[in-house]
Amino acid sequence: MAKLIAQVLIALIILGMVTGVAAIMLLFLGQDWEDALFWILASVMIIAGLLVVLMRDIIRCGLAMIVCFGSLAGIYVLMGAPLIGAAQVIVYIGAISVLILFAIMLTQTKDAPSRLVFQTQAGPAAVASVIVAILIALAVTATDWGASAERVKAGANQIANLLFTQYVLPFEVVSVLLLAAVIGGVFLAKREPGGPS
Amino acid sequence: MSNSLDAYLVLSGLLFAIGTFGFLARRNAISMLMSIELMLNGVNLSIVAFGAFIPGLRIDGAVIALMVMAVAAAEATVGLAIVIAIYRNKRTPLVDEYDAMKR
Amino acid sequence: MNWDLLIPLIALLPLAGFGITALIGRRLGKQAHWIPVIAVFATWVIAMVVCFSVLTHADPFGDKGYGHTLFTWIPAGQFVVDVGFYVDSLTACLLIVVTTIGLLVHVYSIGYMSHDPGYWRFFAYLNLFMFSMLLLVLASSFLVVFVAWELVGLSSYLLIGFWYRKRSAALAAKKAFIVNRVGDVGFALGIMLIFATLGTLDIHTVLEKIGTVEPTVVAVIALLIFAGAMGKSAQFPLHVWLPDAMEGPTPVSALIHAATMVNAGVYLVLRSNPIFASAPGVMVVVAGIGIFTAILAASIAMTQTDIKRVLAFSTLSQLGYMFAAFGVGAWTAAIFHLMTHGFFKGLLFLDSGSVIHAVHEEQDMRKMGGLSKKIPITYVTMLIGSLAISGIPPLAGFFSKDEILGESFKLGFWWVSIVGYIVAGLTAFYMFRLMGLTFWGSFRGPKAIWDKVHESVPVMTIPLILLAIPSILLGLFLGLPPGADSRLHGWVEPVFEQGQKILYGAGHTEDAYALFGIDGVLILASVTVAVIGIVIAWRLFGVSLPGLHREPKPEQVQALTARAPFLYRASLNKWWFDELNHLLFMVVGGKVAYAMWWFDREIVDGTVNSLGRATLKTGRGLRLVQTGRVQNYALGIAIGLIVMAGSYLLLVQR
Repeated sequence: MAKLIAQVLIALIILGMVTGVAAIMLLFLGQDWEDALFWILASVMIIAGLLVVLMRDIIRCGLAMIVCFGSLAGIYVLMGAPLIGAAQVIVYIGAISVLILFAIMLTQTKDAPSRLVFQTQAGPAAVASVIVAILIALAVTATDWGASAERVKAGANQIANLLFTQYVLPFEVVSVLLLAAVIGGVFLAKREPGGPS
Repeated sequence: MSNSLDAYLVLSGLLFAIGTFGFLARRNAISMLMSIELMLNGVNLSIVAFGAFIPGLRIDGAVIALMVMAVAAAEATVGLAIVIAIYRNKRTPLVDEYDAMKR
Repeated sequence: MNWDLLIPLIALLPLAGFGITALIGRRLGKQAHWIPVIAVFATWVIAMVVCFSVLTHADPFGDKGYGHTLFTWIPAGQFVVDVGFYVDSLTACLLIVVTTIGLLVHVYSIGYMSHDPGYWRFFAYLNLFMFSMLLLVLASSFLVVFVAWELVGLSSYLLIGFWYRKRSAALAAKKAFIVNRVGDVGFALGIMLIFATLGTLDIHTVLEKIGTVEPTVVAVIALLIFAGAMGKSAQFPLHVWLPDAMEGPTPVSALIHAATMVNAGVYLVLRSNPIFASAPGVMVVVAGIGIFTAILAASIAMTQTDIKRVLAFSTLSQLGYMFAAFGVGAWTAAIFHLMTHGFFKGLLFLDSGSVIHAVHEEQDMRKMGGLSKKIPITYVTMLIGSLAISGIPPLAGFFSKDEILGESFKLGFWWVSIVGYIVAGLTAFYMFRLMGLTFWGSFRGPKAIWDKVHESVPVMTIPLILLAIPSILLGLFLGLPPGADSRLHGWVEPVFEQGQKILYGAGHTEDAYALFGIDGVLILASVTVAVIGIVIAWRLFGVSLPGLHREPKPEQVQALTARAPFLYRASLNKWWFDELNHLLFMVVGGKVAYAMWWFDREIVDGTVNSLGRATLKTGRGLRLVQTGRVQNYALGIAIGLIVMAGSYLLLVQR
């Protein structure tokens, strides 16, 4: 009971801090609402991602992942690619996350939550990840991408146009790939006739 | 901030790094797969960001992102099927038990 | 007279004797001596014919001698070695000594070794030795001389260790061979140097061309050849093997260590006289070492109690004389002394063998005495030999020794001369000490032995008599008229001509012999010194000659030795050279060897082993990387990525 209250409290505090910063940005720093929205979505995404990798209970990790995908979809929309955002919601949240939750349910062991969450190599892994993040940030900010401030809006009909004319081959190949994946998945996960469950 | 390419790219890098940590440090196989999904999403974000900000790329960024999503779905399917198959054999989802290739 | 056939026969007949006796000797038993003795007798006959022709300058020998190549042994491009012989007056002198004494020793051994189970083996080895020595003397190429050198050393080893079941004999044989080897290394290096500078190993070609080599190289060659001679002729510091070599049977000591093998060294330096003449400094070294060995050995001989050891040290001393003579430039004196010494020392050794036989294998002189009454022939011949070696005129030793001492004085080497006179006195002293202890006074051994003392069989005494004759007459035959006109001088002058020319320049003539001048004084000095030595020996150890009788005075001897205890002990212990060698080579050398072994085991092997261990450890460590877990591998990938990207960023982009 006390743990539950502590967790809820921490969550609320974090949310409050995020919103607070957004409010500051909006009101005091004179940034427009897109920036504030970006800040909120970005921080939610990062926090959810951290929860995915750090939490003990796998089901909760899965749920955090759904939140992460959701905010990512929001960022896609903010960027001017609503189709991608929609696809993100449908595919990732609607299909992949559900699949993952099913798999979690199928592979649950009785003593899952009490055992160690992290490997022995968690320390070096953390260091490596931090360094990766720093490297990527440095590399990316140091390069001149030739970016323009004006966003390219990717509407649905433009995407469809491109998809069925220029990129029709990759499109068909991806469909074949999906077919193969489906067949493979069914075959792999199939129960042996009369075998152990 | 939302108008600069760098912010989106740093964000994607951050997400990728978080996914890397999860992949390297979690014991449950499904957690590893979830971390992989995070990494893929991070990359996807960067692709869309490039597509949105660089005029030369026009709409290609979005299309590529769609492809990546499809492939990620396929890969998640097969990966989870494999984990279930292994689980049936080894009765545990913890990857440090999958050490049959150990010398 | 087919010389090309006859002369090789000199060497080959004993070889055949060795071969046949080695193969069927055991079956012949007591008759095994016939074939070797006949072989050596035939050799002697042929050698006498050859020597007669050579020394009368008959055809084809002429003045310079005659050489002939039998076959080419090593035709290897530039390195060509021919096997052949070369016979000149020097060879003839050596042949006389070697074959005569060899024959007499063979005959003597019929009697001496008659009770020995290894009878046939003894004669086989003796013949092998004769072959080696004759090959050495006849050879025309330095390499063949070296081969014969080694063969002589081998025969000596076989003969010293003849009674191989006796531990001391086996050890003595090994010691002789090893010490010889040390000298042989020097000789081999000298040969290599000769080949390197002159491109040929044929003796006469080398001696002709030696003038074209620069002086320091010639000096080194001479020194190396002398090193070989030191080993074979037992000069200081390689003298330690000769006393121990007395473990062999007495005929062996007579043949090898008195008359022939030890003379090989002297022969070698005499043959190489132009080389030495071109390096006067080396000649001084030779003289120094020679005379030092002489006095060292004489000082030791004065206190030895084993009859054969006294004679062994005496041999060392006389060999020292020969080298001293060579070193001062009196080459004729050296060969003269070589010949006379061969005869009277061979006589003395065979006599000592007869004595030992008479007292039933006792060699300690303290247990002898008064034997003159019971073994007359041995006694008389040994007396003749002792007089000869002491240098009493007109016996052989007087002429040769006096020539050495006189020449060394006249040529300016007065230090050699003075030490030589002292040694002559000591020689006379210890020889007559030997006579006194052995033959005069009264018998000090067990009575049972005294009753059984008897003269040796004729097959042993006849060689003694035959050897006594040259001991008396050889000096007169070779050494008169005295001075540069002597017969021997006439014989060997052509051989030494080139060397003498190098040494003194052309046109050097010797002063006429001044019997009533300096030469007379020197003769008087040497005789006086010898007589003083003899008289002192008589007073201390007794004498019993017709007309002269003195009792031995052991108390006086004791008193004398008590007055100089250190010198006495040093002399008795052979100046502790064996101990010094043992310390240097066994102890220190052993430590060095141990250090080397430790180094090899710990450091060299250790390095290799530790490399192996390191590899094993690394392998074991690396094996831990293979956990079989995907996540560990993925961490490796991540680290690799970081390293590559990071280094790219850091190094390239900055």
